[in-house]
Amino acid sequence: MTATVDKTVVEGLAKQNGVTLGRVLGRGNIGVAEEGPDGKMHATVRIPLDELVFDPGVLVLPHGGDLELEIINDDNNSHCAVLPCNGDAKFIWLVNFAKGRASLTLDGPGYYWYGSRTGNDEGGGLTGTIVVGGEVPDEAKLDRPPQPRP
Amino acid sequence: MATETEYVDAGEAVDFRNLSPGYVGTAPPVAKGVNYNRILKARDAEPHNWITYYGAYDGQRFSPLDQITTRNVHHLTPAWVFQCGSVGMHSGASTYSFEASPLVVDGIMYVTGWDGWVWALDAKTGAELWRYHRASPYDVRLCCGNVNRGCAVAEGKVFMTTLNAHVIALDATNGQLIWEQPYGDVRAGESATVAPLIVKDMVIVGSSGGEFGVRGHADAFKFETGERVWRCYMVPEPGEPGSETWPAEGEAWARGGANCWTTPTFDPELNLLYFNTGNPCPDFDGAVREGDNLYTNCVVAVDPDNGQIQHHYQYTPHDVWDYDSTMENILFEMDGRKCSGHFDKNGYFFVLDRTDCSLIRVVPFVDRITWGEIDASGKVTPRVFPDKEGDPVHFWPGPAGAKEWTHASYSPKSGLFYAPVQDVGATATRRRREFKESIPYWGAGVAVDTEDVSGYLSAFDPATGQEKWRFRNEHPMTASVLSTAGNLVFAGDPAGIFRAFNATSGELLWQYTCGSGHHSSPSSYTVDGRQYIAVPVGYGAWTEGFYPGALAQAGGSALFAFALPE
Repeated sequence: MTATVDKTVVEGLAKQNGVTLGRVLGRGNIGVAEEGPDGKMHATVRIPLDELVFDPGVLVLPHGGDLELEIINDDNNSHCAVLPCNGDAKFIWLVNFAKGRASLTLDGPGYYWYGSRTGNDEGGGLTGTIVVGGEVPDEAKLDRPPQPRP
Repeated sequence: MATETEYVDAGEAVDFRNLSPGYVGTAPPVAKGVNYNRILKARDAEPHNWITYYGAYDGQRFSPLDQITTRNVHHLTPAWVFQCGSVGMHSGASTYSFEASPLVVDGIMYVTGWDGWVWALDAKTGAELWRYHRASPYDVRLCCGNVNRGCAVAEGKVFMTTLNAHVIALDATNGQLIWEQPYGDVRAGESATVAPLIVKDMVIVGSSGGEFGVRGHADAFKFETGERVWRCYMVPEPGEPGSETWPAEGEAWARGGANCWTTPTFDPELNLLYFNTGNPCPDFDGAVREGDNLYTNCVVAVDPDNGQIQHHYQYTPHDVWDYDSTMENILFEMDGRKCSGHFDKNGYFFVLDRTDCSLIRVVPFVDRITWGEIDASGKVTPRVFPDKEGDPVHFWPGPAGAKEWTHASYSPKSGLFYAPVQDVGATATRRRREFKESIPYWGAGVAVDTEDVSGYLSAFDPATGQEKWRFRNEHPMTASVLSTAGNLVFAGDPAGIFRAFNATSGELLWQYTCGSGHHSSPSSYTVDGRQYIAVPVGYGAWTEGFYPGALAQAGGSALFAFALPE
């Protein structure tokens, strides 16, 4: 038996110090990386003032490959990011009002978490996802008739 | 918000490893000369190394080193400890486990961890020389945890598989990627956890995903370039030999399982790879796949030159208990015969003639077997199985088996096999379900016993099938065994205790508490004349399957190297 969710509860889950202390993970805006003429994907993620989130919180790459990511800290506190990348994670320190870059290579399909590993930024909401779409190459697929998917 | 010109330039994100104190970044080029011929003679020609997964192609997990003996092993002490830990959120955060077998080449150790880690370490000091971390999708389908069982080394390269079913080749001097090949479909539920094997000019791998209704396969690639050589499916398609063991109608074969998620053994004289295949799928609902379901639960002998199946032996035909046969087939000689020894999940120890995979001897190796019976001729009689919808059925051994994937050892010095045994039952209740790609396809609900469980380390004589000695443990034994020419047997347990036994008598001679459970494969090597026993420690993976009583056991990420005091 559950009660109907009040609008204030919904709103309170999407901000700092509302229903929760931080912001529940997995919420936020969705953005899609753009494919550049250089064959790489490009995107920008910001940390808005006092929201303790990455925006977009979900960044979608159409397929696996190279991503040129711009990260902007518009917050009046220092944060950082540990970002997924084949070979080794990438780290960038982001003082108040800082802008930096990360070159990432990721396989698809699947999704990856990243976050700010300072204090408990991650628990507060500074945790984002990079979602990679697409399919594996044909040579990696099983030789069988097409099967049902959920 | 600040204007553009007011932003501080944070620069370019850096490799995280460069923020690790003592990180070196390079390793000596010791792997440059490792090739097929060296691996063929590994045990005899270079006993100071452990250059392939089992120590040698025969899978014996026996080290000829004898500095550490029954007389001095009580002095054994940690020489160094390497720890990894983790940052941020990763897949299988509650199931990761340190399962690898460390390789050592002339003083340099190559070892993999969960979640795409591989490290080169100074095998004398434990210093981290380089690391590679493959980003692993958080949502990759894993039946049994975020694990990896090890790497292979050849001609200056280190090879490993990734959770999302790629095989990758790294430069052994710096960990930089040389080539990669995806060989599984993560959208279909495939993954990879196997330690690769180098044979001739190829790197051999296999697929995971047997709980998701995939079609198991082994793959070979040229290790220099990554070019595919062959793929061998372990479930035949309609019309191929063995297809008569699947329903003629429908697509049960296409979802049949038989994954190869542990490393094969190899006989260079017979030119045969011995693959170990997993359960059929759905695991417990046999009615949708009537027949023996070849080549599930088999040893499958494959010609490495073309990937063609030459022989097979099926340990549990038409399995409805989740009795994978992925545990190793150890090659040994007996009375002039070329044999293989295999401790199966179903609780029986099989000795085969490996020239044609015919049965020589089969005997039980665990006290409680209720699922059925296998007589001396190999005839299988099922007795208890989940055949009625919604009707709970209890049986021994449970779905993790009387022995899990963790490896036994054979000592040519003692002539005995040493097996880690789990005496654990389970209850399965058949629940038929529709097949959908990437969704677990078990066909039952399963609860493994939390009480009245135990384990033992047992020594078996393959000539008679008799158990020669047994070390009884209150916990199931869930880690691989190592035997050495010092007449010692090493085995870890779920409580974190690493022990040494007299290989002849089974007498307990030494133990050390490592702080987390053992679910890996120890190896032995020497550097500058000093013998080490290396064992990764960190409990996890499918704990609810092999020992749910250890679900709260502390996780860990430590690699211990033990040695005698200098």
